[in-house]
Amino acid sequence: MRSDGRLPILELKSFSYTYLEGTPKASEAVRDVSFRIHRGERVGIVGATESGKSTVVDSFAHLLRLEPGQVFYRGEDVAAPGYDKGRLRREVGILFQQPDSQIIEDVVGADVAFGPTAAGLSAAETRERVEESLNTLGLPYPDYRLRYIHALSGGQRRRVAIAGVLAMHTPVLVLDEPMAGLDPRGRKELLELLLKLQRERELTLIVCSASLTDASLLCDRFIVLERGTVVMDGPTREVLREADRLAELDITLPEPVVGAREMQKLFPDFPAELLTEDELETELLERLGAE
Amino acid sequence: MLELQRNVIFGQFVETGSFIHRMDARVKIVATFVFIVASFLVDDFLGFAVVVPLLVLIGVVSKIPLGYVLRGSRFFIAFLVFILAIQVLFYPADVPESSYLWRWGILSVSTVGLYTAGIIALRVILLYYVTTMLMLTTSLVDLTNGLELIFGPLQRLKVPVNELVLVFVIAIKFVPIFIEEMERLARAQTARGFPFDEGGALRRARRIGRLLVPIFISGFARADTLTIAMNTRSYRGGRYRTKLRQMRAKPSDWLVLALVTLWVLVAWMV
Repeated sequence: MRSDGRLPILELKSFSYTYLEGTPKASEAVRDVSFRIHRGERVGIVGATESGKSTVVDSFAHLLRLEPGQVFYRGEDVAAPGYDKGRLRREVGILFQQPDSQIIEDVVGADVAFGPTAAGLSAAETRERVEESLNTLGLPYPDYRLRYIHALSGGQRRRVAIAGVLAMHTPVLVLDEPMAGLDPRGRKELLELLLKLQRERELTLIVCSASLTDASLLCDRFIVLERGTVVMDGPTREVLREADRLAELDITLPEPVVGAREMQKLFPDFPAELLTEDELETELLERLGAE
Repeated sequence: MLELQRNVIFGQFVETGSFIHRMDARVKIVATFVFIVASFLVDDFLGFAVVVPLLVLIGVVSKIPLGYVLRGSRFFIAFLVFILAIQVLFYPADVPESSYLWRWGILSVSTVGLYTAGIIALRVILLYYVTTMLMLTTSLVDLTNGLELIFGPLQRLKVPVNELVLVFVIAIKFVPIFIEEMERLARAQTARGFPFDEGGALRRARRIGRLLVPIFISGFARADTLTIAMNTRSYRGGRYRTKLRQMRAKPSDWLVLALVTLWVLVAWMV
């Protein structure tokens, strides 16, 4: 997936950010964060609370008071004077941690239509996008179109928020804790949906989380943040190999990795970087057979 | 991007550990009250000129940067200017002819009008400054306890002091929370193609309307959650509660109060 000769779709160069800089309430969120993300990559950004994940997410769509020379989209400095921020936001779709904060309209259909309408699509195209997005998320268009959002459950509201972002058909999709508040079936469905969409639309997918549980199946590369700096950056298995370090950083490990770490007490050479329970089983059987 | 917290500091508390921060909250509240009374009694520029050095002194001792306070008062100042413009332009017509500087229909600018508006402005600024300073230097817990202790005796007259103080304090506490919430909403809506950081002042102001409905909804939701949280922890008014930390006014606190009262009296007399 990675080739360093190509232009990265997103790049942070020594990105540092302090909220309310110059006031007594100033708080530093990230310091000297650098990485490149290429088109079609599936990247997880993980870290405990206060690690700076959300600040990094906000920087992608220029939602902060950015200084020039730090955040680049397709090689262009997004904080340069005269940069078209509107276009950037039509290309980088963000799902926020609290879905309620990004819901604008009262009715499901109108809310999902908000992004496409703001992007200047015709009524017919907008309708098509709304229908498609709602159906994809398991909220049948005819049933949900006219429902009031505040009367929906938390999980359904999250789906509406996701549908609202999907309807914008952005080439980059950034999801901040997309699995929070979903039941196990909902998580599985969303996971499969995201993988399918990513393949079909060649999306650049960025997932933020304090847990590797679902993200490890979704992403092929992880960037690990701690207190506003990058401490690890590599392919999923390589990062999972450092399971001890991840646990130290308060990042929830996927269940197969947790199991593998238990096994390491019996078999010191047992690999930690396992993604699925099947892999765990294979490794275990291999060793038990060998005994 | 919309960083509202810079422009509205009402209800914020900034810990600097200064002398004023360490003062007894009750003394600070009473001193603020003295200032409030003074703002109504003092009625000429000389009087206010006498008060200003004291306000500067408070600002310096509190160690809260003046720039922070000024920037955080931008909306307040804009509002004040607007009110004063109305006050001057629509000043009642019974002023001597010699006082008029400009006149057009019912609109006029007169020296009498300007003088009155100036005094009103100083009163409002004084009120705003001392209450803001009280909140910037006093934590909410201290403010609540201080108010409860001061108004405690009214309890005997069946005045629901604790409840009233609680309502007052929650109202203040919710201002910064709402401002943070508005910031978050503005950011999320910007991400969905509804920018808050583009266009002229008027267009930006009109967009704020988009935040009002969600902010009201979340406000009600928050109030609801707070009620449930208080009920589940069996909250009853402060009457039934004992305090771990007793408030004790130091001699220096009384000295400050005496100084403030004297100073204000002088301002009134001159």
